[in-house]
Amino acid sequence: MQAKLVCESLDVSIGGKTICSKLDLELAPGQFWGLLGPNGIGKTTLLKCMAGLAAPDAGDVLLENQAIDNLPRRAIARLLGMLQQHTVYVFDASVLETALTGRHPHLGYWEREGPQDKQKALDAIRAVDLEGFEGRSVTGLSGGEARRLAFASLIVQEPAILLLDEPTNHLDMKHQVRIMNHVEMQTKKQQHSAMIALHDVNLAARYCSHILMLFGDGDWQAGPATELLNMKNLERLYQCPVESIQTSTGMRFLPGG
Amino acid sequence: MIPTTLRRSLIFLLLLLSVGSIFFASASGSVSMGWQEWFTAIQDSGSRHGELIWRLRLPRAMAAWVVGSMLAMSGCLMQVLLRNPLADPYVLGVSGGAAFATLLGMVFGIAVAYLPWLAILGALVSILIVFGLARGAGPWSGTRLLLTGVVTASGWAALISLILSLSPDNSLRGMLFWLMGDLSYATLPLWSLVVLGGSFILTLGLARSLNVLAMGETTARLLGEPTRHMLWLVYLLASVLTATAVSIAGSIGFVGLIVPHLMRLLVGSDHRILIPAATLFGGLFLVLSDTLARTVLSPQQLPVGVVTAILGVPLFLLLLNRAKLKGV
Repeated sequence: MQAKLVCESLDVSIGGKTICSKLDLELAPGQFWGLLGPNGIGKTTLLKCMAGLAAPDAGDVLLENQAIDNLPRRAIARLLGMLQQHTVYVFDASVLETALTGRHPHLGYWEREGPQDKQKALDAIRAVDLEGFEGRSVTGLSGGEARRLAFASLIVQEPAILLLDEPTNHLDMKHQVRIMNHVEMQTKKQQHSAMIALHDVNLAARYCSHILMLFGDGDWQAGPATELLNMKNLERLYQCPVESIQTSTGMRFLPGG
Repeated sequence: MIPTTLRRSLIFLLLLLSVGSIFFASASGSVSMGWQEWFTAIQDSGSRHGELIWRLRLPRAMAAWVVGSMLAMSGCLMQVLLRNPLADPYVLGVSGGAAFATLLGMVFGIAVAYLPWLAILGALVSILIVFGLARGAGPWSGTRLLLTGVVTASGWAALISLILSLSPDNSLRGMLFWLMGDLSYATLPLWSLVVLGGSFILTLGLARSLNVLAMGETTARLLGEPTRHMLWLVYLLASVLTATAVSIAGSIGFVGLIVPHLMRLLVGSDHRILIPAATLFGGLFLVLSDTLARTVLSPQQLPVGVVTAILGVPLFLLLLNRAKLKGV
């Protein structure tokens, strides 16, 4: 399944601070967007707006050509999934049960998860390298494990549009690559689309097809990654000197002297 | 936790034990009878023992079961609503309103038969106050609901203390018993069974949504729950259950807090199994507690709220401790 998410001259602010003004953006099938910007610039708030969790000051977020705030949450959840920045589990549940919650929007009122749903959950648990943890309690997971489990629930939800808020937080390099590979595969093979807030410019350079940069005070720039990821833009974005090196898979960036 | 395959058997077992406990309660009391005597008496409701069973003990045992299961269900709902394992059916002031109205009724000498209606009225007033004030214009806020409820509850507590301090000594005992929870005068109105049955079916239907809501409001919305409506529905369900239970038997403590946790330790947090388990065990637990309250120092009767705490606290601490040792 494919779906399209469009931002139309979107104004978003938080606490009187403008995050973006007149943002026009189309998250088309097959695209893998990286959302870059310094700490506290409003990446999370923008993603929440795009998920219909927060209201923009002006403009519209359109999901399949309909204003997202007119759609029932259940219909949204079948098309769009979001990984939040923090994952806290208060009540005890097993890893498998938690992964299965991804099926929630797809099941009817009295319906129970079937063998197919369970298989999807087990596959997702394997995809995030939590095999053997199925029966473990979520309250005992480490930060990184909880993060990967949250991502597994999102895989099980099977949304055509993925919004990911710093999915690689708390993760070592192996698991960062694993998650980014999974999203890349979804966008390439299934023509899903993704928007991913990142602090690691080089992960964005390695994986993303498109980049959205938030400079603060409402300034933004969006376009293909190869055009936007250069020293000039990154120095402006992070307000520090940047050096670049050419590698076999493209440009990479380092803090300069 | 017990294995998944055994969880259904546990429900069946709790159902059997519930029925058994009600019969057991009807055979025990200050007038003791052996099982043979009980068996002949229960077939003849006209005999002296038969009348005791059918008119006094069975209605009381059934009222205890209904109240216990309502409190346990309400406790499960409140804990999800506030996403706080410490929440109990009384935390948002429903019982405070009921207690204030009932004590006021006692002061003015209103007939005992009308007191449950006063309790319902008081509970409804409290529900409306909290609902109206916490609703506000903004988005759902669990913290605001909790604060509004807790402050309302302490307001009721102050008014209750005021009534107690102004009441004559001879009526204090009855009031204190009611406040601690007492099934002596409990009757089981038909509509309370409708409330119990209706809420149970509705809650069971919402069980998967409750699982999702327990993961937090944002997560629930992202998984397709219209959380604002859902959480108010959960609040109203829990409040109606509490109000009904309190109107029958006063504010019996600990059942609504401890039973959901005991069952979580046994069957886990999936509400599709937790709700039936807690509902059945809540009923069973209160029937046994009330039977003890009637018989331990008979003919002297203890307030059942004291017994639920004396039984429930060590049981809970023991299970919690064992769960920790196994590293759950």
